[in-house]
Amino acid sequence: MSWNEFIYFAAAALVLWFSGVVALYLFKKRYFSDLLISAGLIVFASFIVLLWIWLKHPPLRTMGETRLWYSFFLVIVGYLTYLRWRYKWLVAYSTLVSAVFILINLLKPEIHTANLMPALQSPWFVPHVTVYILAYAMMGAATIAALIALYGSSAESEKLINMIDNLVYIGLAFLMAGILMGALWAKAAWGDYWSWDIKETWALITVCAYLLYIHSRRGGYSRKITLWIIPIGFVLLMITWLGVSYLPAAQGSIHVY
Amino acid sequence: MDREGKGRKKTYITELTIVLAVIVAGAALQIVTGPFNSAIVRFPANAVFLLIFLVAAALPPNSVVARLGTLSLSVILISSFLILSLIMGLIPQSGIVNSWPFALTYLMLLTNLVLVAGRRARAFRLKDSGFMLNHAGLFILLFSAGFGSADSGKYFMTVYEGRVEWRGENIKTGQIDELPVAILLKNFDMEEYFPKSIIIDKRSGDAIPSYDWVIVSDSLVDNDNHAPAAYIRASNNKTGDKYEGWVSCGNYSQPFRVLDLTERICVAMAYPEPKSFSSEIEVKRERGSSKSGVVQVNHPLTVGSWKIYQYSYDMQKGRDSGYSVFQLVHDPWLIPAYIGIFMLFIGSVTLFWKGGKR
Repeated sequence: MSWNEFIYFAAAALVLWFSGVVALYLFKKRYFSDLLISAGLIVFASFIVLLWIWLKHPPLRTMGETRLWYSFFLVIVGYLTYLRWRYKWLVAYSTLVSAVFILINLLKPEIHTANLMPALQSPWFVPHVTVYILAYAMMGAATIAALIALYGSSAESEKLINMIDNLVYIGLAFLMAGILMGALWAKAAWGDYWSWDIKETWALITVCAYLLYIHSRRGGYSRKITLWIIPIGFVLLMITWLGVSYLPAAQGSIHVY
Repeated sequence: MDREGKGRKKTYITELTIVLAVIVAGAALQIVTGPFNSAIVRFPANAVFLLIFLVAAALPPNSVVARLGTLSLSVILISSFLILSLIMGLIPQSGIVNSWPFALTYLMLLTNLVLVAGRRARAFRLKDSGFMLNHAGLFILLFSAGFGSADSGKYFMTVYEGRVEWRGENIKTGQIDELPVAILLKNFDMEEYFPKSIIIDKRSGDAIPSYDWVIVSDSLVDNDNHAPAAYIRASNNKTGDKYEGWVSCGNYSQPFRVLDLTERICVAMAYPEPKSFSSEIEVKRERGSSKSGVVQVNHPLTVGSWKIYQYSYDMQKGRDSGYSVFQLVHDPWLIPAYIGIFMLFIGSVTLFWKGGKR
C-alpha cells in the first residue's frame, strides 16, 4: 500500500459520497444516503489505515498527508452537522471541498514527499483547519441569507431570521473550536496560547463581530442594523483567512509561511 | 431577551456614555503616565481583583453594580473590543495591547462577564449550562490571560553542547536573569530536507522557471560537516546542449558551487530547510530532583511550573550547530487558563447543538 493506490480508494470514496449527496436530495428516507456516505468513509478510512501501516507512523508529516485528513474529516463533520440540522447543502459543500483536496493530492504528487516544517507537525493542525473550513461554510451561508433578508420583503426576512441565527450559532461554535485549538497548539509550539500575532488578532476580530450579532439580536436592536453585522463579519472572516498575509502588518507573523 | 427587563433601548445611551468616559479617562492616563504596565497587577494585586470580582458576582447587586452587568453594556463592550482589536490588526505598532484604554476596556469586559455569569448562577437551571460554560469559561480564560500574565516569566536560554546554563534573557525586559532552573545540553540533533536544485538568474539570484532545460540530479552527498551537494546533468530540449557537474549550496566552511548553463542562468542549490530539530537535555532545579528528556518543536518538556521549548539553534551552521536556544516559560495561571479553554470548548459544543433556539 502506498500513494500509488490512492486513486482507486479516492475514486471509490468520491463516487460513494457524491451518490450519497444525490440520494439525499432524491429520497425522503435517509437510509440510502446514510449507507452510501458511511461506505465512502469506510473506504477512505481503510486507505488511511493501510497508509499508516505502510509508513509505520501516523500520516501527519507531509502536506499531502494533511490533505488526506481534511478530505476525511470534512465529510464526517459535514454529515454529522447534517444529521443534527438537516442542511443538505452542507453535505454537498463538504464533499466538494473534500474532492478538491483529493484532486490536489492526485495532481500534485510532490506534496507527498514535501515535508511539513517542524511547527506544523502537530496533531492540532488538521482539526484546526477543518473546523475553520466548516465555519467559512456556515458563515458564508448566513451571509447569503442575511443579504436576502435585508433586500427582500419583510415576510422573507421573518422566514429567514431563525435560520440565520442558527447558522451563526453553529458557525460561531466552529470558529470558537478553531481558535481554542489554535491556542492549545500555540502553547505547545511557541510557549504562549495567545501572543497577539496578526492572524490571532484577526481571528479575535472575527469572533467579536459574530458575538456582537448574537448579543445584539438578544438586545432587541433594529433588525436591519443587526443583520448588517453578518456580511461585515464575513468580510472580516475573509480578511482573517486570505487577506492577513497581504497586510503590511503581517511581516514576521508566525502564520505566514 | 429571556430574563432581562425591557426598555433597554432607552438606557443604552447611558452605558455608551460610561464606556466612552472610561476609554477617554484611559487615554488621559496614557498621556500622563505612559503605557499600561501589567506589572502593577502582579500577585497579590490580581488575587485581590479576583476576590472583588467573585464577591461582586455572588452578591445580589444593588442597582449601580447591576448596571455593569447588563446586556446593553455587553453589546457596547464587544463593539469597543472589536474596534480596539481592529486597530491592532491594522496597525500592530499602535501599542494598543499595552495601552490604558485597552486595559480598562478589558477590565470592564471582565466585570460585565462576571456579573452576567453570577446572575445566571444564582438562578441556575440546567438549560443554562451552555450559557454558564461560555460566559464563566471566557471570564476564567480572560482573567488568567490578562491579570495572570503579569505573574508569568519568559526567557531565552542559549546552551552549548556539553555545557550547563542557568542564565536566561528575560523576554519582557531584555535583562539577563539567573533562573531557578539550569539546563545541561547533552546533544543537539537536527535533520534537514535535502535541498532542491533550481535554475537561477545569475544577476538577480532569483529562481526562474525554465521549461527548455531538463535537470537530473544524482550522486547526492549529504553527510554531517559537509555541505549538501548533487551531481547535476542538465540538457536543453531545443538546442540539445548538455552540461554536467557538481552543485552545492555551500555552508559555513565550504563555498557554494553552481553549474553554468548560459551566460545568464545557472543551476544552483537552495539552502536546506529544517525537517526536525531536537535537544537532549537534563534540567536541574534549585530545589527538587533533576529531569532528563528530549525537547523539540511542538513537544516542550515540563519541569515543575516551567515549560521548556525548543526555540532555535545556530542558523548558520544548521545541523552542525554547537548550541541550542530554548524558551523557558513560567506561568502559574496556566491551569486556570486551560480550565477556561476547556469550558469554552464544551460551551461551543452546546452552541453547535442548540443552535439559535431560545
